[in-house]
Amino acid sequence: MKKKELSTEFYLLLFLAAACGLLGIFAKGFYSVNNLTSILNSFSYILISAIGMNLIILTGNIDVSTGALISMVALALAAIGKTGIPFAGLFLAAMAMGAVLSTLNGLFITRMKIPAIVATLATTQVFQGILPLTCEGSIYDLPASFTWLAFEAKLFGIIPGSLVICLAVTAAALLFAKYSRFVKKLYAIGNNREGARLCGIKVDQTIVLCYAIAGVLFGITAVIVATASQRCTTTMGSGMEMTFIAAVVLGGTSSAGGSGRIQGTVIGALILAMVAPAITYLGISSNWSDAVKGAIILASVITGEARNIKVKRVITKAAGGGA
Amino acid sequence: MKKIKLTYNKALFLIWLVIFAFIGFRAPGFLKMNYLVNVMIKNIIEKGMVALPMTLVIITAGIDLSVGNIMVLSCMLGALAAGAVGEIPAVILTLVIGAACGMVNGLVISRIKISPMVTTLATMYLYLGLARGITEGSSVYSYHISAFLGTQKLFGIPLQVWLFLLMAVLFVYLLHSTVWGRKIYAAGLNPDAAAYAGININRLIMQIYTLTGVICALAGLIFLGRFTSVKYDAGTNFNLNVITIVVLGGTSINGGVGDMRGTLLATLIIATLNSGLTVLNIPIDVQTIVQGVVLIVALVAYAVVGARNRRKKILKVEEAPGASV
Repeated sequence: MKKKELSTEFYLLLFLAAACGLLGIFAKGFYSVNNLTSILNSFSYILISAIGMNLIILTGNIDVSTGALISMVALALAAIGKTGIPFAGLFLAAMAMGAVLSTLNGLFITRMKIPAIVATLATTQVFQGILPLTCEGSIYDLPASFTWLAFEAKLFGIIPGSLVICLAVTAAALLFAKYSRFVKKLYAIGNNREGARLCGIKVDQTIVLCYAIAGVLFGITAVIVATASQRCTTTMGSGMEMTFIAAVVLGGTSSAGGSGRIQGTVIGALILAMVAPAITYLGISSNWSDAVKGAIILASVITGEARNIKVKRVITKAAGGGA
Repeated sequence: MKKIKLTYNKALFLIWLVIFAFIGFRAPGFLKMNYLVNVMIKNIIEKGMVALPMTLVIITAGIDLSVGNIMVLSCMLGALAAGAVGEIPAVILTLVIGAACGMVNGLVISRIKISPMVTTLATMYLYLGLARGITEGSSVYSYHISAFLGTQKLFGIPLQVWLFLLMAVLFVYLLHSTVWGRKIYAAGLNPDAAAYAGININRLIMQIYTLTGVICALAGLIFLGRFTSVKYDAGTNFNLNVITIVVLGGTSINGGVGDMRGTLLATLIIATLNSGLTVLNIPIDVQTIVQGVVLIVALVAYAVVGARNRRKKILKVEEAPGASV
């Protein structure tokens, strides 16, 4: 078989390349170092969480509490950061907190057998409500040790630290997706939960572990978001979960679970991170960025599904001919 | 055995009674008719209204994450048009835009077969972005008819409460006493079987999402009238709040199971919690926690009741042929 199926990622990459080319011609200053750094920074934190979200969505579950969870971790970080502990401590604390909170979600979903979207909807409200009790709206005047990642951590003096973390996470995720049994289990659960159980996969345990890993990634995002300025507010992460889900969906992962790849999520996150700055540099009011995001997601899922319909038809025809 | 059967609706009613009695006991001012109707009920009307068609959507195993944004987009465009084309065309325009937004959702979901969550997630951004882009981020202001809907009283009770009651009766009737309502359950339980039974699922889905859009537009008119000005992001938390009400009301997110009366009870519970905790001077953040905890308790209760019922059913089936367990 020489004829290779063109994947969703291929089309997305094509779209991305075309967009980049057009931006180079029409948007003056889009490729300036400042703009690229800012795009890559938002790309980093979107992608890290989107990978976690991707793992969750692969199993056919979802997490809408991520935004509240990130706000919560970010505030806790600010509280710890006030004491001036170094970045490594913050980083570990964030990962641990993210993992714990997300594991709660996972346990809630598997033990109570409550659909993920509803369960995380409930925990969102709990997380959101706890936040403002811990401080009066925001924690500010944070020391320089807190914002080290955003301002001083630059590899070779130019590559932002957040991007380095992001690349490391992505590389690890790609390796895991290719070689680890764990990710294969996630696909199996997403495709056929009962079948996976009969194959000897501990479904509940795997899902909880999946949430825990995603929680670690959410924690890393919280570090990047929180340390970007000297002030942490209670609404830092609100609404972010939708961006992450959008990146995953844009990347061709089916929300029903069982299909989709990390590569797609990477491209999806990059496209979403580029929309807002691209629009500004094209001279259009930034007020239109949400509409463009929505249109891109809608167009992407529709074209993806349209291709699938064609493929399905071919299969039915072949099967009919055989019989 | 004369045991009273504990249904989920009765449990919900008990929960509401406990909350209501507790708040009433702690703050007697809460129990004044004036406060109950003009503050407690009035504040929840828009969410309650949208929760009605949302129940239908969720019974078909769908979900609509864009309701708040349809609401804001339609009422904003209507308000912008009111100055140019007059008020009555503006109201009609609002409803038409609501219907169109809902129809787009329905079309993509039923014809192109994209999962409702992904579709409405995308259209959520789209409608939010359109509202933001068209108004360039500034607020729009209410006009006479909208203000009339949002502030007028009839027999001492706000007009929108009457409207809500009327719609509630209508929706209970639609879901529980018409063929159309049975079709919705069938479509949610097993779409394939429903299609083979001669139900036009695509058309049904279209109808339900379009209806949701229209009701959102209506809620938008009231919303605009009540607050006199609306900004593009006003509907952001609205989506998940409405879904919370429906889920609290015992409608299963997996489809096929649900009860309009449960949704109404849940609306009442959330309304009582919101206003009651304000009366008790509990900060709004704690209210969010309480709301979340109530939802969790309800979900767990629902899971427990459901599991018990299922076990009973299975036992009955197995006894008949005398098979071993």
